[in-house]
Formats: sequence, C-alpha cells, structure tokens
Amino acid sequence: MSAPSHETRRRPHRVYREGTDPDPRFSLANERTFLAWLRTAMALMAAGVGIEAVNTTTALLHAPLVTALAVLLLIGGVLISAVSFTRWATTEKALRTGRPLPPPRMGAFLGYGLAAVGVAVAVLLVLLGF
Amino acid sequence: MGHPGEPPEPPPGLQTERTTLAWLRTALTFLVGALVLLKLVAHTRPRLAVGAACVLLPVAGVVSGLAVLRHHSGNREHEPRPLVDGTLPAGITLLAVLVAALGALYVLAG
Repeated sequence: MSAPSHETRRRPHRVYREGTDPDPRFSLANERTFLAWLRTAMALMAAGVGIEAVNTTTALLHAPLVTALAVLLLIGGVLISAVSFTRWATTEKALRTGRPLPPPRMGAFLGYGLAAVGVAVAVLLVLLGF
Repeated sequence: MGHPGEPPEPPPGLQTERTTLAWLRTALTFLVGALVLLKLVAHTRPRLAVGAACVLLPVAGVVSGLAVLRHHSGNREHEPRPLVDGTLPAGITLLAVLVAALGALYVLAG
C-alpha cells in the first residue's frame, strides 16, 4: 500500500503512527460521520445566534434568559465540534489497529441536552405568556 | 472485506462521491452560516465584520476546494493520497470554532 515515508507525513501523527490503512470505505464513512456531527454543531450555533437575533429585534422574551440560552447553544456547538474531531481521530486509529470503536457518547449528550433545552424553552414560553 | 492489512482492496465505488458531497454540504453550511452572522455583526461592528469575512470566507472556500481535490486524487489507482489524513478535518473544525467565536461576540457584545 503506502510507503512508510508517506505514513509519517500524514497528520495527526498519533493516528497514523500505528496500524495499516483499513478498507477505504471505513475511513470514508468515519469522515462522513465526523462531517455530519460538524453540521449538527453548526445547527446548534445557528440556533444560538438565531434566538439572540430574534431577541434583540422583538424583546418579547426575557432578554437575559434568552442570551443565556444562546450562549449555552454556542458552547454546545463548540464542544461538539472539538469532540467530533478527537472522535474522528480515535475512530480512525481504532480502524487502523483493529481495536473496538469508541463508544458513541456524544449522541446521548446531545439528545439529553436538546431535551433539556426544549423543556426549558417550553417553561419559559408558558411563564412569560408567549 | 474489511480486515486491516488484507491485500485485495475493494474499490470504494460511490463512497468517495458521497464523502465529497458531505464535505461540500458541510462547507456550504459554514459559508451560509458565516454570511448570515457577518451580516448581523456588520450592523454594529462593520470593521470587525469585514476583518472576519476576510478570514472565514477564504477558509470555507479553501476547504471546499481541497475536499474535492483529495477525493479526485483518491480515485486514481494506487496513487498516494497525501491529502487524505486529518489535516482537512482539523481545518474545518477550526472554521467551526472561529464561527462560534464570532457568534459568541455577537450574542454577548452585540
């Protein structure tokens, strides 16, 4: 397959230092999963910026709480972006070395997180009379 | 199929195409997101918006271009694929963090 000199040029080094290239379809699927997570992160960030934009133009809701929610969504987006990259790297390394894939923790984090945000927004809307 | 190190490598087929499309979709998402955010920021801080645009938009463009190139070179048989590593994923993660930073600035300092 690839010459050793080629392997040493691939970054991040901690991923390509060990093992051999897996079936390319697995690497490609890993990459697509990473990209899907990144788009999800972008959706969270867009939601954060969006509710703040609505907040500043209408001021119908209680402004500081909406800003706090926007910040929470942005932080969630950054966390998911960063973790999805390290998870891509861990998965690629596991594919190269034939070890088990990392457990899918981010799905639960996002699911419970969005559920909490949804409940919080519903309560806010009821309390503030829409 | 699929055991690491097995000599006959099956062709990736349409997977490279799907992956390229996923890259373009993602880059486009960031491009549109960045444009909307820049428009919002430009109301209060026009200079910052122009500065951020000079960073974000070229990065999004370069990521799209490299994403197409890497899988084109990957389609050629038995050719080393220098771009197929973690560089581009790291680049687009950086783009995500930059967009988030600009978003945080808009939300907190409007």
